[in-house]
Amino acid sequence: MFLQDAPADTAGYMILGFSVILGMIGLYLVSLAVRWRNAQRDVQMLEEIDAKPPK
Amino acid sequence: MQPTPKGLRILSWITAALFAVALYLVFFHAPLEAVMGEVQRVFYFHVAAGWVGALAFLVTAVAGAIYLARKDRRWDRLAVSSVEIGVVFTLINILSGSVWARPIWNTWWTWDPRLVTATVMELVYVAYLLLRQGVEDPDRRARFGAVYAIVGFLSVPLTFLSIRLFRTIHPVVIGSNDPAAQGTFDMTPLMLQTFMFSLLTFTFLYVALLWHRVRLEGLHERIEQLKLRMLSG
Repeated sequence: MFLQDAPADTAGYMILGFSVILGMIGLYLVSLAVRWRNAQRDVQMLEEIDAKPPK
Repeated sequence: MQPTPKGLRILSWITAALFAVALYLVFFHAPLEAVMGEVQRVFYFHVAAGWVGALAFLVTAVAGAIYLARKDRRWDRLAVSSVEIGVVFTLINILSGSVWARPIWNTWWTWDPRLVTATVMELVYVAYLLLRQGVEDPDRRARFGAVYAIVGFLSVPLTFLSIRLFRTIHPVVIGSNDPAAQGTFDMTPLMLQTFMFSLLTFTFLYVALLWHRVRLEGLHERIEQLKLRMLSG
């Protein structure tokens, strides 16, 4: 490295690094959105069942 | 349908804008590092992700302590939400560090004190999430979670101090490096600006994600309450 006259060619690793970072943040955002939608649906369904008078 | 609070919507848009600016700074504002080349740019988000992990676990420990004092379930909701975000960002930190290490240290992984303590910290909090699943009673679960969060927080300062206390090849951003450290560099003013802005952006991202996650936890509790009421009725 002491005799190096130009930076090392590490662009591939940079792309991989940012793919990991942005990919994981994106996945987490999708997971939050999906869980939110499913939980909303569950609450709605349970409230409907709960509101029905017993037969 | 629960509408998204206006404050959360504004925070989400500000965070998205900050994130776009941070990406611009990382790729176009910060200069190319003279030795490591392009892979050094990973550093800005790698450290910011680690910061979010530590912050999230600190919030969990504080929320746990307040829960034990007040027995208010809102603090437990905050604690479990924060742990989840901390686990995600600590994993990002570990994986992005591994990608950086491959060209710089010539290996994906080495048994360095920082890498080991960060992984142990991650596992401590993964265990927190798994163990919570095994406790049925919500109050017991919250109490158990609070005590675990306070004790588990010991792993955070240990991870932070590992590169300052032990012989290591991991670079130190704040403070002096171990002579054996590999991949160190002098931060230019432009690099420092990018680094500080990335930390700020990720802090906003953490707060926005935490707010969304706490709301989701609120819905989960509502589902649990409705199920219990139907079973008991």
